[in-house]
Amino acid sequence: MFHSPPAKPGLTSCRSPEKETFTCWWKPGSDGGLPTTHALYYRKESSETVYECPDYHTAGENSCFFNKNDTSIWVNYNITVVATNALGRAFSDPVEIDVVYIVKPNPPEKVTVTVMEDKGWPFLRVSWEPPHKADTRSGWITLIYELRVKLEEEIDWEMHLAGQQKMFNIFSLRSGGKYLVEVRCKPDHGFWSEWSSTSYIKVPDYFHREKSTWILITVFSTFTFLILMWLLHMNRHNLKHCILPPVPGPKIKGFDKQLLKNGKSNQIFSALVVPDFPPATSSNYEDFQVEYLEVYVRREQELVLEESKDLHNSCLKSESSTSDCDSGRGSCDSHTLLMAKCREAKEGERQTDRECSPMRTEAQRRLKDWEEEALNYAHAGIVSLEMSSGRVKTWPSVFSPLPRYSSSPLDQQSSLQMAKQLSLSTSSYLTQPGHSTKEALGQSYWDLCLSSKQPHLLNPPTPVCRELQAHSDVNISSIGHKRAPAGPRSPALHTTEYVEVQRVDNKDTLLLQPVVQGCGRMGGCFQMPHGEVYSKVKGVDSDNVLLLQREGMGEDRCPCVEQETNEVTGSCHKSCTVSTTQKPSGCIYTAVPVRDEMATMANGYVDTATMCTLHTC
Amino acid sequence: MNRGVWAVLLWPNLLASSVPLDCREEQGILSRCPSISQEKLLDRVIEHAELIYRVSEESCSLYEDMFIPLQFQRNQVGYACITKTLPVPSSKNEIQQISDKWLLHSVLMLVQSWIEPLVYLQTSLDRYNAAPEMLLNKTKWVSEKLISLEQGVVVLIKKMLDEGMLTINHSEQGLLQNGVQPQMLESVMRDYTLLSCFKKDAHKMEAFLKLLKCRQTDRYNCS
Repeated sequence: MFHSPPAKPGLTSCRSPEKETFTCWWKPGSDGGLPTTHALYYRKESSETVYECPDYHTAGENSCFFNKNDTSIWVNYNITVVATNALGRAFSDPVEIDVVYIVKPNPPEKVTVTVMEDKGWPFLRVSWEPPHKADTRSGWITLIYELRVKLEEEIDWEMHLAGQQKMFNIFSLRSGGKYLVEVRCKPDHGFWSEWSSTSYIKVPDYFHREKSTWILITVFSTFTFLILMWLLHMNRHNLKHCILPPVPGPKIKGFDKQLLKNGKSNQIFSALVVPDFPPATSSNYEDFQVEYLEVYVRREQELVLEESKDLHNSCLKSESSTSDCDSGRGSCDSHTLLMAKCREAKEGERQTDRECSPMRTEAQRRLKDWEEEALNYAHAGIVSLEMSSGRVKTWPSVFSPLPRYSSSPLDQQSSLQMAKQLSLSTSSYLTQPGHSTKEALGQSYWDLCLSSKQPHLLNPPTPVCRELQAHSDVNISSIGHKRAPAGPRSPALHTTEYVEVQRVDNKDTLLLQPVVQGCGRMGGCFQMPHGEVYSKVKGVDSDNVLLLQREGMGEDRCPCVEQETNEVTGSCHKSCTVSTTQKPSGCIYTAVPVRDEMATMANGYVDTATMCTLHTC
Repeated sequence: MNRGVWAVLLWPNLLASSVPLDCREEQGILSRCPSISQEKLLDRVIEHAELIYRVSEESCSLYEDMFIPLQFQRNQVGYACITKTLPVPSSKNEIQQISDKWLLHSVLMLVQSWIEPLVYLQTSLDRYNAAPEMLLNKTKWVSEKLISLEQGVVVLIKKMLDEGMLTINHSEQGLLQNGVQPQMLESVMRDYTLLSCFKKDAHKMEAFLKLLKCRQTDRYNCS
């Protein structure tokens, strides 16, 4: 066996429990196979004297115990351990210690834990004693304490630093829990002691206190629940409507639920048939017509107002109606013409435009743009807009005679309303130029003066005046300013009160149509200068026929009319004033009760607005 | 940190103890300055010493952590304490055997011997580049309070021992001039030695004073 000198031992630790004695432990190295002895030598500071350990046994094996007499405080010790065997010795590394700094006291003793009561809430009171060896009474050692608590089933400890006091209270306990408590101490300069032995304590159940809380909560919640239920009960109808809204039943006129339930489909659908739908009455196409107004503005400031019906309607009407007495038609606007128009559609219009207005002025063209806009306003989605170059057709011809065209008041009213709407819309635009702005129109300006009348209604018409004024033409201007006499029926008629019998319907109503001077849609018509063609009452004959006279007709005024009259079968006829200048022509109108209010104008113009329905022959 | 809190909390006490406590009692005239009982004075002196020790321990730890990283260097300071020449008891047996008077005088000796070295330490630390502000503040505070402690001990001696006024003569305690530490040339080690030695001596003062107090209350049970 190989023998060797011992290996170097090493000092593991030195500890003093009370700062009065201390113990050092070492760990021996390999002994090299031979019996080895260890010795501890120490040297105090400021002294070269080497002392050996006084006591090797008190502290156990491989230890050296220094008792009170050998222990000096605040003095450095230089300690060395030597291992010796037969072959040699080995010195450990020297260790410098000062007893003051190696104090590790014993754990606190006599740890007691009791449950105390604080206003019904229990808490733990932990008390202990310092280790009996530590002289804390004389102040030789000052100890601070620390304790830890945990529930039995928990893992983590709850630490509490108690300072120098020897008693501590622990609150916030769990009812019926079992707690573990341990205490340890440490000098103000040293190491923590070991934890004391565990103390067990069981907290009594203070369940009754928690129970009262639960009772309170239960009562309160029950109360709230009852109140809620009562509120729901009171509002059950509302809730029912809210949650389960009633299924709407069918509201079809003639729909019978019982029939549906019976399951006979024939009866159901027959019941649905409304007897008078679609209305089979002789359709008065006038009801659906929307008359539109064609407005010319010429360089000569001649206003040409032309009215024509809706093409489609008029086409239909002209084709289907047989009792079309347009004996009073003196202008180019006739059914035949309209029919021609329908056929020709826009091309004819173009032609007429070209023909009829050789005197298109720039003003007209200027007007065209913004008149187009006006028409856009006036469009209103009711009728189709017809634009012709230089010609503005505003649909609602709100001229006073127009309302008479319609047969039934209701239809009239509806059409009037439509017209009124359109007129309103157009007036809103068109009246802007009004009296003030003249530049927009250039030399000529005009504003439409249309009045919507409802002669069958006694409501005062809402005059939507659009004054068409010719700037230069005196007659027209004068006419334009001229207004109908005040009255519910009196429209603000202007010079554009050209009356033309459009037709006579079956109810013996003379439907007048304002005549637009000059060229209608018919080619070959010339625009008459303003003020030359008027409707003038010639007289009333015995048969209550109102004779209207035209004067100052333009040339070639009504070839179309003659055409028309030829086609129209009927007793009515109209002697149209031939377009000869200064040739008075009279158109015979049959008129029924001419009202007294019908006052001839000073100039002999007929205020046709005051005329009621005229019976035709 | 605890000790720092202690230092802050007991600050007024320190200030209070710096109030002149030694009223000169003239003949026939009652002393006008407030006097304090011996027990209270002793308690205040003990608190003072405790605080001084705690602050010095913190300073030493700070210094160690910053400038003395190696353990072996920390162990070398034991031999170089400037006050090792003072006749101060160094074991509990000795302490138990010496008288009260001697205890007080030992305390006074220690206090007086450290006033000047602390000033020196302060100046030395001020020259450092990286000395933390807290360290400087602590050492400064300690040196100031040591003077107060000295005053308190002087009064205590006068009261307890009925001795006359002891002249505070610092010039005699020029220990540094004795060349006790010729080896310590490096400023860092020198300062660390100063700090650790002072820490130890502060603990001595505290222990002596506490023992003295124990003796005042219960002489025969104070171990």
